[in-house]
Amino acid sequence: MSQGWLIGQSLLNGLTMGGIYALISVGLTLIFGVMKVINFAQGEFLMLGMYITLLMQRMTTFDPYYLVLPVAAGMFVIGMLVYRILIKPIIGRDGTSFIIVTMGLSYVMTTVVQLIFSPNSQSVHSAAAEVTVPIGSFNMAMPRLVACGVMLVAVLLVYFFLKKTDMGRAMRATSENIEVAQMLGIKTNNIFRLAFGLGITMAGITGLLLTPIYFVYPTVGAPFKTIAMACVVLGGLGNIGGTVIGGLLAGICEAFVGSYISFDLAPGSIYLILLIVLLVKPNGLFGKGARKA
Amino acid sequence: MRTAVKKPWLIAAGIALIILGAFPLFTGSNYLLAVGVTFCVFATLGSAWNLIGGYAGQVGWCYATFLAIGAYTSFILFLRFGISPWLGMLAGMAISALAAVFIGSISFKLRGPFFSLSTIAFAELVRVYLNWHKDLTKGSNGLVVPYRQQNFWHLMFDSSHMYYYILLVFLIITVLICWRISLSRMGYFLRAIKADEDAVCSLGISPNRVKTQAFVISAMIASAVGTVYAFFLSYIDPQSMASLDVSTKIGTMAIVGGLGTLSGPLIGAAFLVPLSEVANILLGSSGAGMLLYGLLLILVFVFRPEGIVSFLNWKKKGSGPIKKEGSSVSLRKGGNGHA
Repeated sequence: MSQGWLIGQSLLNGLTMGGIYALISVGLTLIFGVMKVINFAQGEFLMLGMYITLLMQRMTTFDPYYLVLPVAAGMFVIGMLVYRILIKPIIGRDGTSFIIVTMGLSYVMTTVVQLIFSPNSQSVHSAAAEVTVPIGSFNMAMPRLVACGVMLVAVLLVYFFLKKTDMGRAMRATSENIEVAQMLGIKTNNIFRLAFGLGITMAGITGLLLTPIYFVYPTVGAPFKTIAMACVVLGGLGNIGGTVIGGLLAGICEAFVGSYISFDLAPGSIYLILLIVLLVKPNGLFGKGARKA
Repeated sequence: MRTAVKKPWLIAAGIALIILGAFPLFTGSNYLLAVGVTFCVFATLGSAWNLIGGYAGQVGWCYATFLAIGAYTSFILFLRFGISPWLGMLAGMAISALAAVFIGSISFKLRGPFFSLSTIAFAELVRVYLNWHKDLTKGSNGLVVPYRQQNFWHLMFDSSHMYYYILLVFLIITVLICWRISLSRMGYFLRAIKADEDAVCSLGISPNRVKTQAFVISAMIASAVGTVYAFFLSYIDPQSMASLDVSTKIGTMAIVGGLGTLSGPLIGAAFLVPLSEVANILLGSSGAGMLLYGLLLILVFVFRPEGIVSFLNWKKKGSGPIKKEGSSVSLRKGGNGHA
């Protein structure tokens, strides 16, 4: 086990974990980019995605990866419903209202799931969980590679959706200037709903991809939520490419601190980087436009 | 908001004080006293939070950090060197003040959601540190102060009565401090910052300085409460002291009661603390209290942004700080917490 091997293995571990962070963060940044608000329940939607996967897997006994489409569709519908019931009434208030309502939502989701499924950890069986892929002298767990691949596909899909479709153009216009967008006949309310639904779907898919490597329990989403916020700020809010790089960076950082300094300190490194970035580059690494008011 | 305290409020405060002061004399139940202690702790913390989160509109989620600093500093000083928790409390307050200056120097440059995010980053860093530095904090196992004998100097008492009264005194002092501040220049500056920070700047007032001053005061209050609360519990760990849940609970008191009002955090705590105990009993799970916090946060903010206190304001009904606007056009205009 040479020093070089540890560096390489940490880098690989970090990149694949970073891919998972990137996926949930892209959902968060999509919501922010369009609505200019931060969803404090993103981690809990990830948790919900894990439980939906768990339920579907118990019912159908399919491998969780085959369930990606139903889970995504389910999460999309849930996202739209949540938007209709909770988010729409507070549109037009300041960003703090949104934080408080979504924070309240996150506690409701955690406790309701806990009351239904008990706080115990459960696991989802997947055939891919035991497979490791040798890459040179390094070993990579199959689920992590799949997660990374799905992340890339999802991000590319979102990218093309935003750039090449009319709906995507309308979404970008809303994000750029909501009043002009409304004047041009774009139904911004529908765009908000769609963006919120898509953001939630990405959190749900991240949850599904996590089930083979993580235990499922009600508070599983909490660390992912704060890490995703850090990645989003790192990449410059609303910037999808920047967020992916922010996610990968967070993963690598965590892996290196974990293998070289202390496993306990690993999550702290992400917050430390976030604070340093906020201190020296308040717009994020790739942010554009003004952060203030 | 009010230049002089109106008569009905004065009477209400007097009645509340009599009830709070006399209630332990009529009950021998340690459980009820513990609920009373929790009420005092969260009402005080909520009032401290309200200075920055309510009056100035800077919604930060890092107050558990100050609670934890107060708790850990006094515990470690007491366990290692036998230093009295009263001195440990002062040390904790000093450290919290420094921490508040440091957090403020970075976070107050940011606005709205970014401010919230950066305070969460700080709070999480402290929690991770407490988990990691096992030599000092025993990590997630937590610290225990073994009970020896009744000793005021060591903050150890046979029954919960003394803790309750000490915390009640803290609560009264805190409310008086908040009241003084709300009537002082600082109070006006803080409310002006909430209304329009750029306008405050243009009038030659440094918003960051005012915010930092208020932040330091509230951090020291939170830290002092943390010390007494920790000795009441006699066991602390990072999860129960420094987690985001605790920070949220603290903010919820003020938000549910009424942001930026003197009585808001008290009403919020008087409402939430007993209710969450009931919820825990009914639903038979220690997490059920959180369901209540979540639901109330949502309901209050969607339907009654001014908080419970607005039901009691018999004169100016529904004239809260946040206007409800129907159209989504105003998403970028109006309000102050925008990116």
